[in-house]
Amino acid sequence: MKTNQTDVVAEYLREVDQRLAGLPVLQRRELLADLAAHIATERDERNLASEGEVIEVLERLGTPEAIAAAAHEEAGTQPRRPEAFYAPPSQPGGPYAPPSEPAGFYPPTAQSAGVYPPPVPPARPRSTNWALIGLVAGGAIVVLFVLCGFFALARGGESAPEPAVDVYPPAPTATADLVDPPTPTVTG
Amino acid sequence: MGDVSQLATGLRRGTLEFCVLAMVEFEDRYGNEIVRRLGEEPNLAAGEGTIYPLLSRLRRSGWLESKWVESPSGPPRRYYGLTMAGRSALEHFRSEWVSFRQTVDRLVGTGEAA
Repeated sequence: MKTNQTDVVAEYLREVDQRLAGLPVLQRRELLADLAAHIATERDERNLASEGEVIEVLERLGTPEAIAAAAHEEAGTQPRRPEAFYAPPSQPGGPYAPPSEPAGFYPPTAQSAGVYPPPVPPARPRSTNWALIGLVAGGAIVVLFVLCGFFALARGGESAPEPAVDVYPPAPTATADLVDPPTPTVTG
Repeated sequence: MGDVSQLATGLRRGTLEFCVLAMVEFEDRYGNEIVRRLGEEPNLAAGEGTIYPLLSRLRRSGWLESKWVESPSGPPRRYYGLTMAGRSALEHFRSEWVSFRQTVDRLVGTGEAA
């Protein structure tokens, strides 16, 4: 019975720990120690015997997701987003250490990349998406610039008589035809 | 549902920590006591376990101090107490909160006089 309880608690703590990747390692250990002490104290003070009672303690603590989210919020770290933005698409597999940040701020980065590979794959589609969007947007801007340049050249060079003739060739002839006939009728 | 919980989260942010500070204002308390007490309030904590990261930040920012104390019967307990900086932060919050609450009550129409 005691081993069952320990199993449940150990699994719970492992679930929390897995979601703390990205948190400074000392805060990570501190939180796990606090949670373990909390569970042990509850068990001791309330004389919890059954596994169900221990599970109740865990339920009151909250889901591993909720605890990890609170930990990341308090620490100012973000569980997945930074990896999505930091990971360059050219080297998706390799562990990435931001060079500008002090080394102490992200101690578990190299570790987490080695121990928890799952966060890396979701980062790849996102970053490629961004790269695609960037490419498309950049292409659109280039096309716009080329068009603007073309029109500026056309207007500046010949004050746009050519495009007018090209685009509306029938218009002048039509008006000429309309204008011409009355004059003969008036004179004749 | 999502909006309601988001509102609770937003209101909690910035105020819950002072509820924690107030709990250890006159005597040191250990984690389970603090967490259990806050957990009794339905709109304060999402789960008891989410208080521990908050305690950690308050300790790192120098408002709380903590020490592990051996318990005669059971496992060691981590006691938290208010530092001088924490005490003045709590006092500052109290004066800010009163005027803040009055302003919101006046504008939203939740004051007793309204």
